[in-house]
Amino acid sequence: MMSKSKDQTFHLEAKDINVWFGERHVLKDVNLQFPSNQVTALIGPSGCGKSTFIRTLNRMHELIPTAGLAGSVLLDGEDIYDNAVDPSQVRLKVGMVFQKPNPFPTMSIKENVISGLRLSGRKSEISDELVEDCLKRASIWNEAKDRLDEPALSLSGGQQQRLCIARSLAMNPDVILMDEPCSALDPGSTRRIEETILELKATMSIVIVTHNMQQAQRVADKTAFFLADDNQPGYVVEFGDTQQIFNQPVDARTNDYVNGHFG
Amino acid sequence: MNLEPAARPETAEPWARTTARARVLQIAGSILPIAISLFAWLIAGVNPIVVVLLVLLPTLLISIGTVGFILKGKRGIPDAALIVMTFFLGAFVMVLLVSVVWSLLEAGFRALSPQFIYQNNTYVTPTDGLEFGGVGHAIIGTLLVVGLSTLITVPLGLATGVYLTETRSNGRGFVRVILQAMAGLPSVVAGLFIYSVFIVTGISQYAGWLGALALVPLMLPTISRVTEESLKLVPQELRNGALGLGASSWKAFFQVTMPAAKSGIVTAILLGVARVVGETAPLLLTVFPIAGTNLNLLSGGMATLPTYIYRFVALGFDTSVARAWGAALVLMILVGILFGLARYISRPKSLKKKKVKR
Amino acid sequence: MAETSSPAPVRRALRVKPATREDKIFFGVSTAAGYSSLVLIILILIFLGIQAWPTFAQQGILEFVFGTGWSNAEEQYSIGPMLWGSLLVATIGVILAVPMAISIAYFIEFMATPRIRRIATLFIDLLAAIPSIILGLWGLEVFSYVGAEWGQMLNASLGFIPVFSNVAESFLRTPFIAGVVIAVMIVPIISSVTREIFSQVDDDLIKASIALGGNSESTFRRVILPVSASGITGGVLLGLGRALGETVAIFFVLNLVFDSYNWFNILEPGGGAIASLILGQFGEATASEVSALLAAGVILFLMTLVINSIAAFIVSRAQPWNNR
Repeated sequence: MMSKSKDQTFHLEAKDINVWFGERHVLKDVNLQFPSNQVTALIGPSGCGKSTFIRTLNRMHELIPTAGLAGSVLLDGEDIYDNAVDPSQVRLKVGMVFQKPNPFPTMSIKENVISGLRLSGRKSEISDELVEDCLKRASIWNEAKDRLDEPALSLSGGQQQRLCIARSLAMNPDVILMDEPCSALDPGSTRRIEETILELKATMSIVIVTHNMQQAQRVADKTAFFLADDNQPGYVVEFGDTQQIFNQPVDARTNDYVNGHFG
Repeated sequence: MNLEPAARPETAEPWARTTARARVLQIAGSILPIAISLFAWLIAGVNPIVVVLLVLLPTLLISIGTVGFILKGKRGIPDAALIVMTFFLGAFVMVLLVSVVWSLLEAGFRALSPQFIYQNNTYVTPTDGLEFGGVGHAIIGTLLVVGLSTLITVPLGLATGVYLTETRSNGRGFVRVILQAMAGLPSVVAGLFIYSVFIVTGISQYAGWLGALALVPLMLPTISRVTEESLKLVPQELRNGALGLGASSWKAFFQVTMPAAKSGIVTAILLGVARVVGETAPLLLTVFPIAGTNLNLLSGGMATLPTYIYRFVALGFDTSVARAWGAALVLMILVGILFGLARYISRPKSLKKKKVKR
Repeated sequence: MAETSSPAPVRRALRVKPATREDKIFFGVSTAAGYSSLVLIILILIFLGIQAWPTFAQQGILEFVFGTGWSNAEEQYSIGPMLWGSLLVATIGVILAVPMAISIAYFIEFMATPRIRRIATLFIDLLAAIPSIILGLWGLEVFSYVGAEWGQMLNASLGFIPVFSNVAESFLRTPFIAGVVIAVMIVPIISSVTREIFSQVDDDLIKASIALGGNSESTFRRVILPVSASGITGGVLLGLGRALGETVAIFFVLNLVFDSYNWFNILEPGGGAIASLILGQFGEATASEVSALLAAGVILFLMTLVINSIAAFIVSRAQPWNNR
């Protein structure tokens, strides 16, 4: 059974998230909810903490030296920062796609897809059907099916990024976090990936950080607008349906940003 | 909403909270194998290396592996094994290396004394106590031989480095390959070469200058390579600036490029010298060690620190071996000074205001 | 208008040539220096070749390289046991050194705090600078007895395996001891290179592995090691080259046997090393023996040359995924 349609609506929820690097307070009181079967976009100018924030959702934040955190992140009602929770277990359920495509260079395309299963010790789940299924869902099966044993680096940038998406899909996560996945890619690849995102939301929740406001409008159901003033921590100005954020924003600053008055 | 930054609370690292249980397990898991091993070694009298390999290692693996399993489930066991093996193998070789340093310091210092440093060994027999004689002549010999070699090699190496970076010659790739081949020349073969060219053919007897020659191919690749790298680090804009002002290549190099690469070049020289100061084989084949001090590089035997060590180890008496340790320590101190200087000079410097040349 | 196709403009040759006399001297001197290395190496090769040739001609290269026995009386020289001995000791050294060196490099790069990292790196670099004669001295005076004891225990417990057998009743001056001394000598080199390679591993790859649920061990085994493999191999070959050229240290701790091969009995007190052979025999060498020694030197030089070239090739083979 490959793509599991979720019978239960689970909930990824960030409650009162505050982040420090050293003594510097960089994110303040972020409260956001990410229900299943939904795409949420995080927009805002550079440097206001969006990337930092999504790293708190899969416990990658703590790998950064001097990182500090307060608040909780609930996955299916349980705080992932609880004492008893093993961080790598969290990452099995909350996957991540990075800004720069990073397939493992010494592995072939097929090996990359199943690399997550090998790395996390779930070798029994490896099968050719799984590889095919993930590559199809990531919209790269046609391009890859005759080259499964070729090195992953023989793919183009956009193809590599889709391979990374397939790699995350193989883990069967509940949530996929995407940190500006298309910013290093050409428009054609961007379009393919956006189509993939729309198809994927049927079975999982996606949180995507993006600088591209048109992209947010194209793929996201809900949007959160982050902002940070000079020397102040970043925070969420407004969070709601994408249509509402872009067409009838409540806050004047949101209005300014979505209309391009500052970037 | 209050947007003022808040101070970081004490509890800002929830992932670092280890429960008391985890901490106890980790400590117990580490102490238990050590305790068992100490018991086996000190009380049951088992040979130390057997204890280390057959008692300490397995018990560490089992106990830390168990702790890993308790704390992290199945995934904790390979992690535990990685940690144990890393520490074990690393510690094993560090013990050996520390043993080298420790022996050197301990045995060396026993032989060391002011008289040991400046006296030579005329009239001293191998079985005489350490209060007689010393390595003074060997120190002078090393300085002379290596000094001469440096005098020959440094201009050659610097000029080669210049050739590789500043000219546009087509032969540069080939020369680099040659230098790399030279870097692989075994030191004994370099000595053998000089031996057969000069001594076997009768052109010369064993002499200091032959030793200096034998060291040249051993120093040259290092000096050239590091010089080349230092010169490459000088940004092309600096050179272009000088050339744009009408300077000739020669002036541009000496007044702009070289001062900029000065510390790199000095490091190159120091590293090259440090490498050959401890070379034994080439000197054994070209220079005849004697007991007295000889300042003449062109004729007569000359003692150097490495050949001194060799000779006194080969003699085999307790006293002569003790002397060898003393000489070894002196040699190491010399190498240490050279390396320390090289590191000091090549440390990242804050920007200095250059004096304007008028 | 008459249609004439104008010819493409004549391309002028742009050459950078020294113009003034000063520059000519400058470039001339530098070029001369550059070529001097070429001349030096060629001189060495030619001279060694010429002097070594009589031996090769008289004995035949195959007999010289693969035969046994080194004797002045019969004027019969073969480096077979010495050649094999060099390889054997170097192999033992590398097998022992590599796991230890990689462990140190892993610890420094991925486990240590920044301050410990600085101290440890400094320490390792200092150890790499220890002249090999000092290691030979330590090997002879300090380690030989410990090593002999280990050899004895190996023999007592695993002596049924031919590698660990011993008939001489002495465990001193064995290839095993020489191998351990070599290992101690080359660990710092291999460790430095490996640590450098580890530090260049793209951080993004490690992040990707962790984001997929990898733990330290699987990240190391499946991501870090494969990416570092060729760089580490280069470092190992560098260490191997040094081990093969090592002269004095081996001479101190190993008993050189010319007449028979010690193939695998690393606990037997007999072995060989070409460099040590040269050192041992040059003193009272007759003319023909000198030629034979030079021939041995040629073989040794060729070996290290080949290994260094392979190392350079492996390291330089395009590694598009490394930061450099």
